[in-house]
Amino acid sequence: MVDGAQETEELAAGDEVPIMNPNAQVCLQHLLRVWLGFERDLSTVPLLRRLDLGTYTIEDHLCLLRNLRQQVIEGSRWITRTASSFDRHHAEIRSTVISHAVDEHRDYELLEKDYVASGGQLEDILGMERNVGSEALHGFLMYRASRNNPVDLLGAMWIIEGLGEKMARSWAERIHELTGLGEDSTRFMTYHGHNDGDHMQRFYRTLDEVCVDERTTKAIVKTARVVARLYRLQLEELNHDIE
Amino acid sequence: MSVYITSTGAFLPGPPISTGEVEDILGMVNGQPSSLRVQIQQANKIQTRHYAIDANQQTTHSNTEMASAAAEQCLDRAYLNRQGVGMLAVASTQGDLPAPGMASMVQANLGLPAIEILTTHGICSSSMMALKAAYNSLRVGDHEAAMVVSSELSSRLLKKQRYEAATDSTFAAKRIDFNTEFLRWMLSDGAGALLLQSTPAPKGYSLRIDWVRGFSHAHALPTCMSVGSAGHPGDDRTWQDYDSYADAERAGALLLRQDVRLLDNIIRMGVDGYLRLVQEGVSEPDKIDHFLCHYSSHHFRSKILEMLDAAGVGIPEDRWWTNLYTRGNTGAASLFIMIDEFLRTDEVTIKEGDCILCFVPESGRFNTTYMQLTVVKN
Repeated sequence: MVDGAQETEELAAGDEVPIMNPNAQVCLQHLLRVWLGFERDLSTVPLLRRLDLGTYTIEDHLCLLRNLRQQVIEGSRWITRTASSFDRHHAEIRSTVISHAVDEHRDYELLEKDYVASGGQLEDILGMERNVGSEALHGFLMYRASRNNPVDLLGAMWIIEGLGEKMARSWAERIHELTGLGEDSTRFMTYHGHNDGDHMQRFYRTLDEVCVDERTTKAIVKTARVVARLYRLQLEELNHDIE
Repeated sequence: MSVYITSTGAFLPGPPISTGEVEDILGMVNGQPSSLRVQIQQANKIQTRHYAIDANQQTTHSNTEMASAAAEQCLDRAYLNRQGVGMLAVASTQGDLPAPGMASMVQANLGLPAIEILTTHGICSSSMMALKAAYNSLRVGDHEAAMVVSSELSSRLLKKQRYEAATDSTFAAKRIDFNTEFLRWMLSDGAGALLLQSTPAPKGYSLRIDWVRGFSHAHALPTCMSVGSAGHPGDDRTWQDYDSYADAERAGALLLRQDVRLLDNIIRMGVDGYLRLVQEGVSEPDKIDHFLCHYSSHHFRSKILEMLDAAGVGIPEDRWWTNLYTRGNTGAASLFIMIDEFLRTDEVTIKEGDCILCFVPESGRFNTTYMQLTVVKN
């Protein structure tokens, strides 16, 4: 029974349901399931489980931020690489990817500020290497981004942007509640939420434009699956930092 | 072999209780009105509900009596002698006795001789568990008729005395304990019954059961709705681990709790299960004429519903039907009470061949259950 469920996902007034081609519709059905499975399985990641169970600490938060930074730095690289891999027949999606890269390519600086505001030492986060999962995720994304017209990376954007929105929607406030840290400890997380206003409509338009056959659908969904699994691996590997 | 719902029955105890009267029945804890009641009631939009306790919090109907009353009505409407019933499956969150199973007690009340019985234990989805077992029993030919009953008497958990006794609980310690009060203004009492047969009723409409499916996500997600834990992070004790039941009650381990923060998961997992059925070709969104959902469309007014529409598999709002707002949220009993009224209401025109999708999500530890029915006429 769920009456009165949190009204965190209320529709903004004026949002319209887009009309997409049947391939894009099927692709979105699959992407939704990949996302929902990813989101559910994040609950099994020990550090995130503590957010659910109410045992998350400041140490956990510092560990999370230290581990996210490398992925965010590499994130701006694969996005710009992706943009350069599109030819002139894909100018529209290239524009979308470029504007996305501009939005986010210095996000890691926010993370560094959050880390210090949470009580961490700047040199600790600056000196952090990619964890095992970040290596795998970055390696996969750079490989896919280097191929010609890598439309399948829409699947990667789906997962990574979805997670950004989730951090803003359900992690940031919970972290404040459990740790007593202030809003300056989660600026990276909340910034993404504020920044994601019309991303969905843009995403639908892009999906409708590029997802026009079964082969593309499969490629986008497959990449979303791989990214979801490797992203979770990255979050599972946070623990090695604590041990 | 096909299986049909050939008769239905329902029982709602006492008069309909308006939103403003609820606290008169459940009682003011320590004589103080709740500061959360209005907010929670406005969110769930339930207008009237029924309770099997009176304004002195004394039980007026046992859970067994309500279940039996719904089953009696169902049998009275059936084209079948009660001797023809081979199986009785009963679902409830909590029977009158922790043991034996509630089906034994309901069988005794109904006087059904030497039948096979099943009690399913859970929360809302226990009704679907009972229904699926009975459906399968008929499918394999063990029986030709089975009675499935779901009944809930949650007001006994929600009366003021429960909260007043929890003197060392989170409820007593906090000024506002949303998780502990949330369900107090949500749940109410009632029972529903369905008769399953291997042939359609000789007159009127029957509902052919096309399939029943369920997906539980307890392997990945934490407990969201429960009784038996005091709700302290890191404290694994459950009610029977305390030295005495009185200690457990003082600690608040017998209060009904909902971890409201986790609730969005049930909507997400509900959508995931639906998409899975669509992808498997089991459910065809275009063919759904009526959608009977244990919770109402206003809870889905979210981004995820918009995404279902964008993905071409949304169910238009005019096909949703519920009586949640007038009969209350009766947990496991809700779907059967809904089907009973759906077949009789003037609000909807039902015709032969109509396809009905039913959905019962359970937030306990995230079990989502689905059933498809087709309207048939003999």
